[in-house]
Amino acid sequence: MTEAPKKILILGVGNILYTDEGVGVRAVERLLETYDFSDNVTLLDGGNLGMRLMQPLMESDYCIILDAVLGGDQPGTIYRLTGDDLRKSLAFKDSMHQSDLVDTLIYCELIGKRPEAVVIGMEPRDIQSMSIELSPEIADRVTPMLEIALKELRDVGGVATLKA
Amino acid sequence: MAESKPTPQSTFTGPLVVDPITRIEGHLRIMVEVENGKIKDAWSSSQLFRGLEIILKGRDPRDAQHFTQRACGVCTYVHGLASTRCVDDAVKVNIPGNARMMRNLVMASQYLHDHLVHFYHLHALDWVDVTNALKADPQKAAKLAESIAPARPGNSAQALKAVQDRLKGFVESGQLGIFTNAYFLGGHKAYYLPPEVDLIATAHYLEALHMQVKAASAMAILGGKNPHTQFTVVGGCSNYQAMEKEPLANYMALTKEVCQFVNDVYIPDLLAVAGFYKDWGGIGGTTNYMAFGEFATDESSPEKHMETSFFPSGVIMNRDLAKIDKVELGAIYEDVKYSWYKSGGDGLHPYDGVTDPKYTKLDDKDHYSWMKAPRYKGKAMEVGPLARCFIAYAKGHPEYKKIVDTVLQKLEVPVTALHSTLGRTAARGIETAIIASKMDTWIKEFADSSAKDNTLCAKWEMPDEAKGVGLADAPRGALSHWIRIKGKKIDNFQLVVPSTWNLGPRGAAGDKSPVEEALIGTPIADPKRPVEILRTVHAFDPCIACGVHVIEPETNEVLKFRVV
Repeated sequence: MTEAPKKILILGVGNILYTDEGVGVRAVERLLETYDFSDNVTLLDGGNLGMRLMQPLMESDYCIILDAVLGGDQPGTIYRLTGDDLRKSLAFKDSMHQSDLVDTLIYCELIGKRPEAVVIGMEPRDIQSMSIELSPEIADRVTPMLEIALKELRDVGGVATLKA
Repeated sequence: MAESKPTPQSTFTGPLVVDPITRIEGHLRIMVEVENGKIKDAWSSSQLFRGLEIILKGRDPRDAQHFTQRACGVCTYVHGLASTRCVDDAVKVNIPGNARMMRNLVMASQYLHDHLVHFYHLHALDWVDVTNALKADPQKAAKLAESIAPARPGNSAQALKAVQDRLKGFVESGQLGIFTNAYFLGGHKAYYLPPEVDLIATAHYLEALHMQVKAASAMAILGGKNPHTQFTVVGGCSNYQAMEKEPLANYMALTKEVCQFVNDVYIPDLLAVAGFYKDWGGIGGTTNYMAFGEFATDESSPEKHMETSFFPSGVIMNRDLAKIDKVELGAIYEDVKYSWYKSGGDGLHPYDGVTDPKYTKLDDKDHYSWMKAPRYKGKAMEVGPLARCFIAYAKGHPEYKKIVDTVLQKLEVPVTALHSTLGRTAARGIETAIIASKMDTWIKEFADSSAKDNTLCAKWEMPDEAKGVGLADAPRGALSHWIRIKGKKIDNFQLVVPSTWNLGPRGAAGDKSPVEEALIGTPIADPKRPVEILRTVHAFDPCIACGVHVIEPETNEVLKFRVV
């Protein structure tokens, strides 16, 4: 236990203007409101920025990404994607999701500083309608999504304490 | 300098669709009719509905910027700025000099970042065959690099060999990722660069990745909260901390490094690559240009902004560089005849704009885009680097004159060759170089001014009823946000963005948008891989202002938690 603690980034991404697209950002907002974190943990609302997230990504050793994930299951299903799943989805190009986070991770790798990353994602119900509110069934699932993210955080050496 | 090659052309006749256009933000679909190997007609179709106007209605005008800057993952700041400026105008506040300079510096950083990323990471793959770089002789490439970019040592044969090895590893692991579906895979006759130039450009592609991180970090120092900038407020700025010595020194150091890269690498690369693609100086031109101006010395009103901008404002009609008109803001309107909106909304000024969607179907040539069609005095206008370049050059702007003439001389082409895809890409580099040459002065001006007096925000009061426009010449072009305030709340809000000017659909009169016009006459070498379409479309740096971001795994092997 003499090793320096891992620098952990909890990154919420997505576009809050498109209903459930913003679930990752809303989840990070909730974490910031509810918990205090140990010094080795950084929380970031990454919005829908792509390459401009490279700096915070490269500064971290481990990244927990919260995002909407289209896995084909029921809305509200929570997924956990790690290295290989993410790598395989790297080839995914044939849709509107272009300059996205996955590309940004490849760019990090291209210059030799890709952090280990896990995605805790949720199947959205609606990512088309313009609204800054999550669908009710998705909003209800944010708490379990956060529980999984916090377990992930503990496993890699981050501490979250409920705010007084 | 290499001689211009004849542009390869097939004998293909028929329709082609590129959907989606990759390496842009958002979802753009381009449909063309090809006749005997040349594009005869074109349609530009935005596939994403952007109904921000609907979300903003009824909110506090000051909050508009927090929503508009979320519309897009690239142009966050410019939307934040335009939204702030339109409220500045509505409440008639004159922002302090420090705030004006701080906003300008962050805009300059945005240009440096965006244009670097555009050239190397979004546009270069249209011209540079990365896999061809594997065939290069590193010795020969190192020698060539010395003549292309003499100010940049470090491209030794050994370093270039290392780049090849890294690339090879990437290709062999099947992780082409960002290069997946690139049209050059398997060789393509529309790519002309020798392997050595491909290798040098690829090495710089990687170096530029590092550099854009520095540019983004610089921007975040002044922009406050990283990565979404939140330092603009109605009446000025709020980031007092950025006026202190240490952050400013950091900003200056990072910026200096980026500017040096622009001078020593970006511009030489641009000239080297352009030298092989001079045929593209005759492809992809448009007719009319408009700029609102940026980097003003007086922001007391939109008119003063346009009058006092370092990148000048103006209008050029029919390519007539001898006549630069002033921009008349009242002459801007938007048509919806060919868009997916309810009919009857043509010709509306943005203050009176209506956003009332009505989707028909995908393959409908009569209604084919979520974008409206902005027009100025009945004309489609190109906005962005090329428009700024022509307007500044024609006005005799000394910095522009010098560098434009140098570029024309080096490429041995006349100024008319700039009405093209090549010209658009060159103009982007030219203005980046001009900004790079001014940064030192601009930062010092700001440091001196803020050391004397740290006022950053002026007082104002929200009127019950008002209207205002926020103008900006963003990296992608002329941007305007239009607000009507009623009962101190947003009554109407319309955004007319650069990509709508450049990549919108036909106007009510059936006239083509700039990109639709630019595509006409383009030769297509291989209808299965029409890289020529990408070249012209990417040269406009499209940003369809609402990147959707979800991750879609390809496998079904995703580990699932099911929590009740």
